[in-house]
Amino acid sequence: MSFNQDHLGIIQAKLSSGETASTCHEASLMQGCVCASRILALVEHEGEWALFIFISSRMPPEVFTDLAIERVIPIDNDFKCEIDAGEQSVDVYVNSRKLKLLFKMIPSIKTNNFVSEIMRSMEDLTKRRDPPPEFQWLHKYSGSSTSSRNKTDCESATTDITEDDASKEKMLDLDSPDIVVSRHSVAQGANPIAARENVIQHQMSLKENDYTYTQILRVFIGTWNVNGLPPTSSLTPWLASDMEPPDIYAVGFQELDLSKEAFLFNDTPREEEWRRSVIAALHPGANYKQVALVRLVGMMLILLVQEKHEKHVRNAAFETVGTGIMGKMGNKGGVAIRMEIHNTSMCFVNSHLAAHVEEFERRNQDYHDICSRLSFSKFSPPKVIDKHDQIYWLGDLNYRITEMEPRIVRDLISHNSLGALLECDQLNRQRSQKNVFSGYREGPITFKPTYKYDPGTDDWDSSEKNRAPAWCDRILWKGDGMDQKEYRSHPILRTSDHKPVSAMFESQVRVIDVVKYRRVHEEVLKKLDKLENEFLPQVTVDNTEIIFDVVRYLEAQSQELIIANTGQVPVQFGFIKKPDDSKFCKEWLNIDPAVSFIMPGEKCDVKLEVCVDKKSASKLNCGEDKLYDILVLHLEGGKDIFITVTGNYERSCFGSSIEALVHISVPVREISIGRLVELEKGEPPGGMEPYPIPKEIWFLVDHLYRHGLKKQNLFLLPGLNSELIAIRNWLDNGSSEPLPGSLHSIAEALLLLLESTAEPIVPFNLHSVCLGAASNYLQCKQIVMQELPEYRKNVFLYLCFFLQELLSHANENGLDAKTLATVFGGIFLRDPPRLSARGRGNLTAMDRKKASFVYHFLVNDLSDYVTSKVLHLGPTT
Amino acid sequence: MANRGGAAQRPNSQTQGKICQFKLVLLGESAVGKSSLVLRFVKGQFHEYQESTIGAAFLTQTVCLEDTTVKFEIWDTAGQERYHSLAPMYYRGAQAAIIVYDITNMDSFGRAKVWVKELQRQASPNIVIALAGNKADLANSRAVECDEAQAYADENGLLFMETSAKTAKNVNEIFLAIAKKLPKNEQVSGAGSANQGRRLVESDSSAKTAGNCCK
Repeated sequence: MSFNQDHLGIIQAKLSSGETASTCHEASLMQGCVCASRILALVEHEGEWALFIFISSRMPPEVFTDLAIERVIPIDNDFKCEIDAGEQSVDVYVNSRKLKLLFKMIPSIKTNNFVSEIMRSMEDLTKRRDPPPEFQWLHKYSGSSTSSRNKTDCESATTDITEDDASKEKMLDLDSPDIVVSRHSVAQGANPIAARENVIQHQMSLKENDYTYTQILRVFIGTWNVNGLPPTSSLTPWLASDMEPPDIYAVGFQELDLSKEAFLFNDTPREEEWRRSVIAALHPGANYKQVALVRLVGMMLILLVQEKHEKHVRNAAFETVGTGIMGKMGNKGGVAIRMEIHNTSMCFVNSHLAAHVEEFERRNQDYHDICSRLSFSKFSPPKVIDKHDQIYWLGDLNYRITEMEPRIVRDLISHNSLGALLECDQLNRQRSQKNVFSGYREGPITFKPTYKYDPGTDDWDSSEKNRAPAWCDRILWKGDGMDQKEYRSHPILRTSDHKPVSAMFESQVRVIDVVKYRRVHEEVLKKLDKLENEFLPQVTVDNTEIIFDVVRYLEAQSQELIIANTGQVPVQFGFIKKPDDSKFCKEWLNIDPAVSFIMPGEKCDVKLEVCVDKKSASKLNCGEDKLYDILVLHLEGGKDIFITVTGNYERSCFGSSIEALVHISVPVREISIGRLVELEKGEPPGGMEPYPIPKEIWFLVDHLYRHGLKKQNLFLLPGLNSELIAIRNWLDNGSSEPLPGSLHSIAEALLLLLESTAEPIVPFNLHSVCLGAASNYLQCKQIVMQELPEYRKNVFLYLCFFLQELLSHANENGLDAKTLATVFGGIFLRDPPRLSARGRGNLTAMDRKKASFVYHFLVNDLSDYVTSKVLHLGPTT
Repeated sequence: MANRGGAAQRPNSQTQGKICQFKLVLLGESAVGKSSLVLRFVKGQFHEYQESTIGAAFLTQTVCLEDTTVKFEIWDTAGQERYHSLAPMYYRGAQAAIIVYDITNMDSFGRAKVWVKELQRQASPNIVIALAGNKADLANSRAVECDEAQAYADENGLLFMETSAKTAKNVNEIFLAIAKKLPKNEQVSGAGSANQGRRLVESDSSAKTAGNCCK
C-alpha cells in the first residue's frame, strides 16, 4: 500500500480552518460485490470528531484537488463501529442512523492504529461532560456540493433517500449478504451496461480458476547503464546466454545519452542504435515482436514477446515519470510498460534513481514518487504499478556500499567475500527497514558489483574519485507465480562503467480455456439476470377493474386503489399517457397521487375520483365519450399495469344542447337514451312543436324573475353543491314541488346549464366575428339577428331581457350592467377549445371585448325587434 | 507489431465479445401462452394456471452467442382485445417481436396474422419477427397445421417454430434464433446508454434507430 500518513497534509488542505485531520487511512468501501478505493480520515473540530470519506482521483492523492468528500459521518451517540479482523482483511462496519458501510482494510499496524484512533474518538464522546455535540461545523458539508460525487451526508442527510442516484447506490443494505449487485442501480436501470460490465468483470475475476490454467513463460529481464556511449560490441553474451529462448524480453537502459540535447529535447539517435543492437542480439531460437518501446531522456525500456504469443497480448501501455532536477526532469525517474498476456497482467519498470553515495533517502523518495505518480492513464480508472499481477522492477537503482573503505571493498571482492559486502548494501538495509520496495523480492546476488569500472576493461575505477564498487544495477519483482532462475552480471560487455545485469524468470500466466470461459461467463450472466429480475420493481394492486355504478352530473364519487410494494426495491410509480392522448386519464377522472414513491413492504392509497362537470358533460351526453378509461400504471424501470375504470353516466339536461332541449317536452330522464342521442345528432325531430327556448332555462329564469329581482349579488356569489344537485334532479326528473335551492344556487344552475353545452350560445365559428364587432352595437345586433341559430338567438335575447329587468332593480340588488356583461360575456362567448389552450396573454383584452359585446344588449332598448312571445311564453304545462 | 498504446480494448475481448441490448415484445391473443413462454425462457418455470397479464410485464434475459452476448429486454403484453390500443407503446422501438398463437385455436392464428400486418405497417422497418405456435404439447387437439403456419411465415419473412412452454420445446431456441438474426453492427458502449428508461413512447422512438443494439 503506497498510501501513508504523509498524505495527511493533502487531506488537511481539503478541510476548513479549525478542523484538524488527525489520522488517515486507505480502505476499500464494499458496494455489493464491488469494492471501491476510499480514503478515510478522522477529523476533529473543537472536541467534536467526524469520520470523513474521500474519493481520490488517483491513489495515493498528490494534491488536495484529487480528493472529493463523499460523505461525512459525525461521531456521535448514533455512531457505531465494529471490527472483524481476519487474516486477509480487517472488516470495519460503520453504522450511523440508517447508514451502514463496510470498509475492508489490509491488516497492518497502520490499520490497527487507525481503528484504535476511531475507538478513542468514540470514547472521547462518552467522557464528554459538556452538552451533546451539535456538529454545526459539518453542516457546510451536507449541502449539495459541486458535483453529485461530492454529495455528503451529515446528520439529516444520512437518513434521507434523495433523488441522487449516486448517493442511493451507496445506501447498501449490509443485512443482506447475498446481494451482490448494486440493487438500486439495477432497479433503476441507471447506466445499466457499464454497471453490468463492471459486475461481470469482477465476478469473472473471482472465478478465474474455473476457466484458466497455468502456463509457464520464460521472462528475461535485463538492465544496463551504458554511460552515454553507443553500442560497441554485440549484446549476445547478455541477451542470449541461455539455452532456451525466453518468451518475453524486457530490456532496460540508463544513461543512453548524456548530451544536453537528449536532456532538453528528449531526442537522441542512441535510441535507434541500441534498439537495433538489442534486436540483433535476441535469442536465435525464436522470433520476437516488439510490444512497446518507451524512453525518457536516458532511460529506455523495450518489451518484446515471442511471435507466437503476440495474439495473446492485450492492453499494452507505457508511461514515464521524471524525478530528476526539480523533482520533474527526466534525467532520473522511471519508465514503464504494462500488458496483459493471456489473463495475467504484467508491469515492467525501468528506473534510474538518484546518484551519490549518501543520497539513499533521496533514492527511496524517487521510488515512492515513481510508484505514486506513474499510472497508466488510458484506463479508467487509471492503473497504477501495484495493480498488476506481476511486477518486474529493473534499473540503475544507484544504492551503494557504505561504511566501508573502497580499498576494503575491493579487497573483499577479490577474496570473493560478497556476504559481508551485501550486509553493507544500502538497498538491502533500506529494504530490511521497509523504507523502500516493500513487498518486492530480490534473488541472491552471486555476482561482483557492477559499478564502477574503467570503460573498456574489467578494472575498478582508477580515476581520482576512486569510487567504491557497488551493486547499482538490480532486478526485483513482486507478484505470485514468479520464479527467478538466474540473476547474474555480464562482465564481458565492457562498453560502459557499469556491467549489464540480467535475470531469467519462469513465470506462471493464467491462460483462458475458451470453452470453460464461455460456460462460466454464461453462468455469471444468468446469475446476474436472475438478480436483475428479482430486483425489478414489483407491486400488486388490489383491483384492476374500478367500477363506478351510476355517475351523475356534478356529483363526485371516488374509489381507492391500493398499490402495495411487494418487491425488494423502492418503487417510483406514475400513471402515463397512452399513445395519442394528451393526458394520462380522461378529463372526468382525477387521480391523486398520480406519481409517488413506495418503499418495500409499504403501500400507497391512490384516490380515483370521477366527476362529470361542465367540461366533460356534453361529450358523455351525446355519446361521443363513455365513462370508460384504461389507465397505464407504470413502475419506473419495470412493468406496467392496466387499470380499467368504468361507470354508467346518467344523462342530464346539463350537457344537452339547446337544440335538443327545445325538442323535449318531458323531463330529460323520461325519454330514452337513444332518443336523446338522436336529438343530439340533429336527427329530424318528430311530434311536438319545439319550444322557443329550453323549458329548463325558462324554469330557472322564471323563478329568478319572480323571486330574485331584488337579490343582491345575483350571479356573482356561488351556489351550494348540494342545492345544485337538488335543482338538477328537479329539472331532470320533473316534480310538482317548487324549484328547490337558494336564489344563488338557481342562478348558478342557470350559468352551468349554459356552460355545459358542447357549444356556447354564440357558436365557435362566430366567436372571432363577434369579438371583432364588439365595439359596434349595430354590427353586434346584426350578427345576433342574422347569424345566430334560431334557438340560441332566442335564449340570448330572452336572457338579455331578463338581465335588463334585473338592472331595472339596480338600486335594490346593487347589480350593474358592466358586471353582468362580464359574467355573461364569458358564457355566451365561451372560447373554442383550441383557443383556451393557448397562452393567456390576450385573455383580459378578449374578456373585455366579450363584455362589451353583451353590454350593448343590456343597455339598449331591445323591444323593437323582439317578439313578445319569447319572453313570456314558457312551456305549456 | 508497433506499440499497442492505441485504442483501449475491452478486457477479455477475445472471449467475451460485445454485449448488445435489444427490446423484444410478445404479442398475441389472450391465453395463447405469452407469459408462459417468457417464464419458461427467463426462469425455467411453468405454471399450469398462469395468471392473465393485465398490463405489460417486464423482464430481462441474456443469451450468449458465439461472438456476442445479447441481452433482451422483454415486454410481455396483455392479450385481451380491449388493451389492443395500448400495444404500440410496447412494440414501438422494439427490435424484435414474438407473435404467439395457440396451435389448438384457429382464431388465435388469425389474430396472429393481424398482429403481423400491424407490425409490418407500424413497427420499426427492421424489426425481427418470430411466429410461435405455442402449446405444441397439445398436438392431439391441433387446429392449425404446422405446414400452413410455416408457409405463412415464409411468405412474410418470419422466423417460425412450434413451441411448448410446458415441455420447454423450442423455447430457448426461438429466442436464440432471434438473437442470431438481430443485426449487431454497432456495439453498445458501456457508458452513456442512459436512455434505458425502458419506456419507449413516441418521443424517444425516433431517437432509437431500429436494428441497432445501441441506444
